[in-house]
Amino acid sequence: MRTALVLLFLLAVASVPGSVLPQQGIDPQSVQQYYVSHPSLAPLLARLSLFNVFAAPWFAAIYLLLFLSLAGCVVPRTFRLARSARALPPPAPRNLARLPQSARHETGLAPGDALDAAAAVLAARRFRLRTGDGWLSAEKGYRREVGNLLFHLALLGILGAVALGGLFGYKADRLLVAGSSFANTVTALDEFHPGRAVSAADLQPFSIALDRFTASYIPSGTLRGQPSAFDAYIRYSAGPGSPARPYDLRVNHPLNVDGVKVFLIGHGYAPVFKVTDGTGRVVFDQAVPFIAVQQSGLTSEGVVKVPDARPDQLGFAGVFLPTAVDAGGQLESIFPAAENPRVSLVAYAGNLGMNSGPSQSVYQLDTAGLRRLPISPRPLAPGQSMKLPDGAGTLTFTGYQPWVSLAITYDPGTLPVLLAGVAVLLGLLLSFFVRRRRMFVRAYPGADGTTVVDVAGLVRSDAGGGFEEEFDGLAEALRSAHDGYDVTAPAPSGTDSSSRTDTEGE
Amino acid sequence: VSVNFGLAQLSNHFLICTVLLYSLALLAYAGDFAFGRHPSQGEVPAAEVPELVAAGVPVASVPVTSVGAGPGSAAAGSESARSESAGPGSGSGSAGSGPGATGRAPRLPAAVVQGGRSRGSWLPTGSWVRAALALNMLGLAAHVIGVTTRGLAVHRVPWGDMYEFVTSVTCVAVIFFLALMIRYRAYYLGLFVMAPILLALGLAETVIYTPAGQIAVALQSYWLAIHVTAMTLATGTFVVGAALAVVYLLADRYARRVAAGRQSASVGAFRLLPAPEVIDRFAYRTVMFAFPIWTFGIMAGAIWADTAWGRYWGWDPTETWAFITWVVYACFLHARATAGWRGRRAAYIQLVGFGCLLFNLLGVSIFITGLHSYAGLS
Repeated sequence: MRTALVLLFLLAVASVPGSVLPQQGIDPQSVQQYYVSHPSLAPLLARLSLFNVFAAPWFAAIYLLLFLSLAGCVVPRTFRLARSARALPPPAPRNLARLPQSARHETGLAPGDALDAAAAVLAARRFRLRTGDGWLSAEKGYRREVGNLLFHLALLGILGAVALGGLFGYKADRLLVAGSSFANTVTALDEFHPGRAVSAADLQPFSIALDRFTASYIPSGTLRGQPSAFDAYIRYSAGPGSPARPYDLRVNHPLNVDGVKVFLIGHGYAPVFKVTDGTGRVVFDQAVPFIAVQQSGLTSEGVVKVPDARPDQLGFAGVFLPTAVDAGGQLESIFPAAENPRVSLVAYAGNLGMNSGPSQSVYQLDTAGLRRLPISPRPLAPGQSMKLPDGAGTLTFTGYQPWVSLAITYDPGTLPVLLAGVAVLLGLLLSFFVRRRRMFVRAYPGADGTTVVDVAGLVRSDAGGGFEEEFDGLAEALRSAHDGYDVTAPAPSGTDSSSRTDTEGE
Repeated sequence: VSVNFGLAQLSNHFLICTVLLYSLALLAYAGDFAFGRHPSQGEVPAAEVPELVAAGVPVASVPVTSVGAGPGSAAAGSESARSESAGPGSGSGSAGSGPGATGRAPRLPAAVVQGGRSRGSWLPTGSWVRAALALNMLGLAAHVIGVTTRGLAVHRVPWGDMYEFVTSVTCVAVIFFLALMIRYRAYYLGLFVMAPILLALGLAETVIYTPAGQIAVALQSYWLAIHVTAMTLATGTFVVGAALAVVYLLADRYARRVAAGRQSASVGAFRLLPAPEVIDRFAYRTVMFAFPIWTFGIMAGAIWADTAWGRYWGWDPTETWAFITWVVYACFLHARATAGWRGRRAAYIQLVGFGCLLFNLLGVSIFITGLHSYAGLS
């Protein structure tokens, strides 16, 4: 028990760095930033898995030990509970007045009849009864232990369900520009994190096309620029040959297709560029997703790579400003909707380095083989062009498209986790609010022909409190069951009590 | 749907009224300590005790014979094993033997000692404490109206940003605490528990006040009503639990000093507090009440996270700290239930748990960016 407590506490302490340091699985960019700002400390932290706490071996060690200790505690207790399922309560103690809760009353019933009446009262309240010579003991509240075990078993169940999801589930991301589509295959996904037992062939073969995306923003007031609604109007089909169905994908309103959930998690702008190279050919005409670097105005950065341009390959890096205003010679975006869109680009020519070396990010320009063209960046409105010097070509900003980023998750452990969670809560409530309690009754002849009934109560675990009230009620119920035969206290005549006993004669 | 600024304004006025009324209530609670007539320990008017017992106070060592019983049971009540002290400090249940029957409740009414329910009059005696209770309840009424009108003004549950959350949490805390205080007639706790609640509400009104407005798209879900409501209820109750833990530590320190002879039992504000064990039990039951709600809140949050973000658990900083808080409170409950940790050690664990909760509420919302950054603070 101590061990479990220590491990539980250790688990809490071990989670702390996971919330303080950036985590690889949640925010990989922040981890990279941490490496830049703490070059000497970061490798050390990485060696201790502190950027990946919740997948770290030492974290796993703690929770596995915890669950081992849990299992070691729960299994024997389950057997004990099973054995006690048929066990009878212990005999009533001799002196009931010594118990924490006790009461006494007198009745005209004979001791045996009084006990029978008491047994009927307690049995009606589903107490488990045991009778003996002149006494009765009763017990109730076995569900408390059941609840306690259920709680601990359900915790084990959560771990198992999480493991199930980790083995057979997968997570993926996909950026989708309006007007385009993709199928759920490994090559079409931008990021793919499969579970250990998932292969490419296991992916559900649905496809999704983005027709239109609208974002609404609060136009004025203190919350100006805050989004008020996002709607991605998509069409999806569950597999090749299945009919395409429309769906309005929103935040908090995911698409569920074939057990896989698709979520709207981000959005942005993809300016469309048309590039004519030095030879006069149109070598590029497509939308290029730019990534927001600033939220309130959705100022976005991106790069354009034109590998087919001749004589030199062309590259551009720049920003997209949805609602551009001139702030002291500097352009900035003051609103996230595209009310006055502008693009400003720096142009490069040379070798993009795409044919050799490690694979490149589409959001970064490798300027090692490039020279910057001597043209100062000028903000372009839709339809405007930028003529490159030295006859290198022309770039036209023809318009823009919205893009959305979709998270695709498949986790077969979700439902089991939910069920286990419900069981945790149920077990918790049972073990908190059911009390295991015993009632004892002794009936014996009193001084003047009456029968004295001693009632006592004992609660084994009453963390929630309230047994006092219950005992009062039970004592009162027993007393009134014996009532009517009552001999008036304190000095009963005792004459008519025996006759009444006869008439009842139960 | 636009914000109803008239109602929002009304809500602000009511909440300012709430702060004022709570302040006055606090003054009255303090006035009770300073000027109220209190029998000093050891000369408790024992006359009160039998009255309480007769009124049906179920007490472990006091027989139930007297509960709703006729004259016959009074005789049985005098049996030796049953007339054990109804309250520490009071001699026994022997009727009418105490000096100075001032008409005040004794320092430890039997109901408080045993943590049982009193079915007698719930009104406290003493004009200061009565005034305090009245002001406290009036303040609560204004508080409830303030929170409700805010919700009506913004057409959703009124706990969408940090300011709204704190006003709602303090409202829950006051409701829970008043119920506890009245049920167990523990009026002397008023000063100690209402003070931190008032402080939190005052800070909410001054430092983190946020005008009524629309909430982030991510929050526009009926799960807001489920998840955040559960978290609000649990947090409000945990606030009371933590305040009780602090009161316990103070009362316990005082009791030990008295026992060691370093402090007179008849001076100091703490002499009026219920016995430390009683406060300890209040604190325990408060946490027991809040813990399942907190568990439910985490689960509801997980279900919401599954529909909003595509995973039910992702170790987001707020999730992590909710988990840490859960674990520490689970440790507290476990330590009390199985290891038999009572008193100071248990109180410290509980305060650690509350510290985690506070850090999650304030620290994580303000200093760490995560998916739960909805506080609306800049």
